[in-house]
Formats: sequence, C-alpha cells, structure tokens
Amino acid sequence: MTGRAFPFAWLGGSLLVMLLALTSVTKGSSPVPLRDVLSAVAGPLAPRLGLRPVEVTVQRIVQELRLPRALLAAMVGAGLAMVGALLQTATRNDLADPFLFGLSSGASAGAVAVITTTGEWLGIWTLPLAALAGGLLSALAVLLMVNRSRNEGPEKLVLAGLATSFVFGALTHYLVFAGDQRAAHSVLFWSLGGLGLARWDNLALAMAGVGLLALYAARRRHALDGLLAGDETAQSLGLRPDRLRAEIFLVSAMATACFVSLTGVIGFVGLMVPHLVRPLCGALHTRLLAACAMAGAALLLASDIACRTLLSPQELPIGIVTAAVGALFVIALVLRTPPAP
Amino acid sequence: MKKSILIADLATASSLGFAQTFPVTVDNCGEPLTFSAPPKRAVVHDLNMTEMAFALNLQDNMVGVTGITGWYKTGPEFKATLGKIPELAPKYPTLENLLSVNPDFFFAGWYYGMKPGGEVTPATLAQHRVKTLVLTESCIHLNKQRPAASMDLLYGDFTRLGTVFGKAAQATSMVAQWKSRLAKLPAPAVGGETRVFLYDSGEDKPFTAGKFAIPTAMIAAAGGRNIMADMDTSWGTTAWETVAARNPQFLVLLDYQDGNGVTKLLSFLKAHPAMKETDAVKQGSYVALRYSELTPGPANIEAIEKIAAALQNRSRQ
Repeated sequence: MTGRAFPFAWLGGSLLVMLLALTSVTKGSSPVPLRDVLSAVAGPLAPRLGLRPVEVTVQRIVQELRLPRALLAAMVGAGLAMVGALLQTATRNDLADPFLFGLSSGASAGAVAVITTTGEWLGIWTLPLAALAGGLLSALAVLLMVNRSRNEGPEKLVLAGLATSFVFGALTHYLVFAGDQRAAHSVLFWSLGGLGLARWDNLALAMAGVGLLALYAARRRHALDGLLAGDETAQSLGLRPDRLRAEIFLVSAMATACFVSLTGVIGFVGLMVPHLVRPLCGALHTRLLAACAMAGAALLLASDIACRTLLSPQELPIGIVTAAVGALFVIALVLRTPPAP
Repeated sequence: MKKSILIADLATASSLGFAQTFPVTVDNCGEPLTFSAPPKRAVVHDLNMTEMAFALNLQDNMVGVTGITGWYKTGPEFKATLGKIPELAPKYPTLENLLSVNPDFFFAGWYYGMKPGGEVTPATLAQHRVKTLVLTESCIHLNKQRPAASMDLLYGDFTRLGTVFGKAAQATSMVAQWKSRLAKLPAPAVGGETRVFLYDSGEDKPFTAGKFAIPTAMIAAAGGRNIMADMDTSWGTTAWETVAARNPQFLVLLDYQDGNGVTKLLSFLKAHPAMKETDAVKQGSYVALRYSELTPGPANIEAIEKIAAALQNRSRQ
C-alpha cells in the first residue's frame, strides 16, 4: 500500500469497526428490533430523532449490557492484536502471541484460586482483580527468568514463557482437582473467554490496557523499528535490545492481564491479526500497530456477534469462534505456496 | 440464628391466622436478604426449584423459568403447570436472557444457573435491581463452613421461598406434612443402617453426592447411610476403589430419562472388576431416581419413601 492510501484505508477500517459495533448492539441472546435498539442508544434524544421511546427493559439491555459489551470487544480485540505485534517483534518469532508467555495460565490460576478457596470476598471485582494479580505474577516470573539469562536472545523469552505457562497450568488443574469438581465449569470460562462480564464500571480496566499500549508504541516506535533489523544492527543504532525486550514484555503483560481479567483467554487474535495486516501496511510499527488495532477490533466484534447468534438464546464461548477462525488461518499459512525464487 | 427465629415467628404468626406482614428478611447463604413486598416478576432456575415454586402456586408471580429443557425431558403435566410462563434459556441463562423479562427476583444456586465470577451472580443482578435467593445446598461453593446436609436444606429453602412471597403459612404447613410423612417410615433394619452408594455418572471415576448434598440427608431419612458421606464436597467425584472397598449394599442410580433408564449404569457396574463384587451389584438391589428427586425440591419426599421401601424389601429378602 502506498503512503497516501494508508489514511484512507484506516478511515475505511474505522467505518467497518463502527458498523460492526452497531450490528453487535442490535444482536444478542434476546431479539430486539433494530428501531428499538436505535431508540435505546439515542436515549433521551430519541423522541427528537423521531424514534418512539422504548421500554425500560430494552433500554437496560441495550445501554447497560450491549453497549459496554461492544466497546469491550473492540478494545480487547485492538489490544490483543497490538500485543501480538509487539511480541512478534520482540521475540522475532512468528508464533508469538499474548498467551504464549504464561499470562493466560497465570490469570486463570488467579481466578480459579479465588473461586475454589475464598469466594467473592470483594464482590463483583474479586475475580477480575484475582485474575489481574495472577497474570502479573506469571509475567514477573518470566521476567525474572529472562533477567538471569541476559544477552542470550529472544529464544529464552519463549522458553521462560512456556515454563511459566506449565507451572501455572499445573496449579490451576491442581486447584480444580482438589476443590469442588463443579468449579471446572468456571475454568472453562477463563480458558475459552467471553465478553459477558462487560459493564460500564469495569471498561476502565480494558481502556487502561489499550491506553498503555498506545502510549508505549507512540514513545518507542522508532526503537521498535530498529529492533526489526536484528540485535546487532539495533545495538549499532544505540539501542539496547535486551532492555527493550524486557520493556515490551512488561507492557504487554500488564495490558494482557487487564484484558484477561475481564474476558478470560481469547486465543488467536494476537497471533493472527499482525500476520493479516503486515502484507497491507508493512512492518514499521506506527502503521502496523494502528492497523492491528483496527483489524483486531473488527475481528473480535465479528466473532462476538457470531458467538451470540449461532446458538441463540445460548451463548458460545468466544474462544471457540476465534480458535476456529484462527485454525483455518494457520492452515492457510501452512499451505501457502512460497513465492517462486 | 436470629433470622431463623424471625422466620419461625412469622410462620407461627401466620398460621395463627394473622396475615403475613412485610418487610421480611430471610437468610441467604449467611447474608440477610430483605423484601419490602412479594416479588411480582420472578424467574426460577432448574427443575427442582421450579417445582418448589409450583408447590406454592407462585405461577402468577412468575415471568420465566430457565435451565430445564436443555437438561431433562419433562412430562406434559409439567408443561401444563408451567402454563404460559416462558423458558428464557434452556441451560444457564445470560444476563440478557434474564433482563429481557424485567424480573425483580431470581431463584437459583451456585452451579444451579450461576457460576462464581460469571455474568449472572447475585452481585451482577443486584445492579439491575433483581434480588437473588440462593439455593442453600449450593452455599457450600462459596462458604466451606456449612453444616452437613440435612432435610432442612429442603424445609428451610421451601419456607424461605414461601416467606418471600407472603406464603409462609402455606409453606410451613406443607413442611409439617412432609415431616409427618417421613416420621411414618419404618425404623432402620436391625443390624445397622444399609450402606448406600449414589451413582450419578462417570466411568473412569464416579460422580456422586458427598457430605453437603441433599441425597446424603435423604438416604439417612430413609434408613440408610451414604457411604460417601465423609466426602468433603456437595456433589463430586471419588474413586471406584474407595467405593468398592466400602462395599455398598444398595445403590441409588440417577435416571437421566434418556430412554434407556439406568440400564447403562447397571451394566457398567456389572462389568466393573471391583464394583461387580459388591453386595449391591451382586444382588442387584437399587432404586432409580430422577434429577429433581435428588436435588432440593418437593420431589425429595416421595423419593425418600421410594428408597425406604426398597431398603425394606432388601432386608426382608
């Protein structure tokens, strides 16, 4: 894509995201006609726009459940895709994804520990906070391991992540096994994800994650580009690759922990989206991350629409939808014939 | 304790002919839950709790049920009693399923329609001004300091539900009838209580009822003893080895009403290397019960009578 076309493409992407967000608000596990949805979204302005006012029930469903849900989908989709792109740069590994580094297993271990032992002692905030703490703990473990093995390149980060993932995975399974067997149902939520916990008052957590990523990307975009050229070139540019990697990892971990604490583990978005947009916008980070955010938001909004309509009035865990799409994507990646030499 | 006295007072007051007055406060997993008037738009989850609501004729105050057809087959009689009340979700409801009927009350339990940390919990519903009455058997999932199962799990919940809807007197008199029915059951056979094992499902390990699940109390009321009563959970899995070593004399099998009754469970037990040597399997002494008979609900009483009758037959042989 040429330089000038990018802003237009981004604008097109924004329109698509808005369209999907609107669709997402009109769909749900109970049917509400489009006209009523629009009226509920318009709120007190509805009569002025010529829309008839709707019942309190519809208003509550649209304003307090579906609107925050659509926003959460967009933010988490954007955030996970950005984390994926950052980690793929940091590790120079095509398969890097927000959940490769034990973050997901840390978060679910935190949530499951609370479910099986203490219960909801902080009310509706108990689970998100426990998941956040678990996620950060696992990130810390990875960082400590990586710190011990400085100057050994990105492979160590992947291995450290894998090890942490196993440790927390084992802990989760132990807690489920030792506790009440029916707690296994809750583990399913954390391992397959879902957007049902979206509320206006917890959106701030997702917003913090996205904000952190955007801020970091804006400040470090040139250094990130430098890292693409390889450690030696980066060093000759005055960058410190190991430190940069640790930074990226910390930012990614904190952002991912925010997302996981609200939605559970939604796989494949962070893996897939950077690969999808790179051919269109190139590998330089300003554009790459902007494009990732847009495409990630669109993907998660679309997946959430699918998971609520396929089995209505039941809801499919969203991780099933993204994993199915992601698997197809990886198969396509495998089967793609390499360009002729 | 204070609260239960309050309920008892109310109940006595109403049975003496006074109308029940609001507000009422009932115990809800150790927390007080206050109602200033009977709920008008109630949603009830699962078959057992719906049968409690029906036993109190709450249909006029109900706007929906959830979690019934996704799990069990129900008879035409049930559908007739349900009348025009819609089923909002065949399995666990979403928040949206519930809010779509603008409810003011939800009767459910942990892992009976609600998951800790899930989108539908008493806390999330409270934000939408819906009060949740939690099934007492399920409180154990959040608070490990609960007493072992007793028939009060049914009596207490039934009375609480009645109290909330201003029908405490009706509920108490029904509980009294149930108690007198159970009092008529014959005393346990000489030589101690029969060792009973409840088999719900599972092949590599059996899923059964432990210390805090109501079947343990039901089996005791029928003159038996649940051999897994020391298992520190409500419903949970144990090991075949443990079950076989305790040599059950009688089985309670869960009939999932999928057409072949309990033949599958029985043939599995007969083929199992350790279980086929137990007294219960060798003698083929068992009773098959439905889900709603084995979870807290009015059907428990008839189920206890069935178990007791079967235990009597067994000891006569």
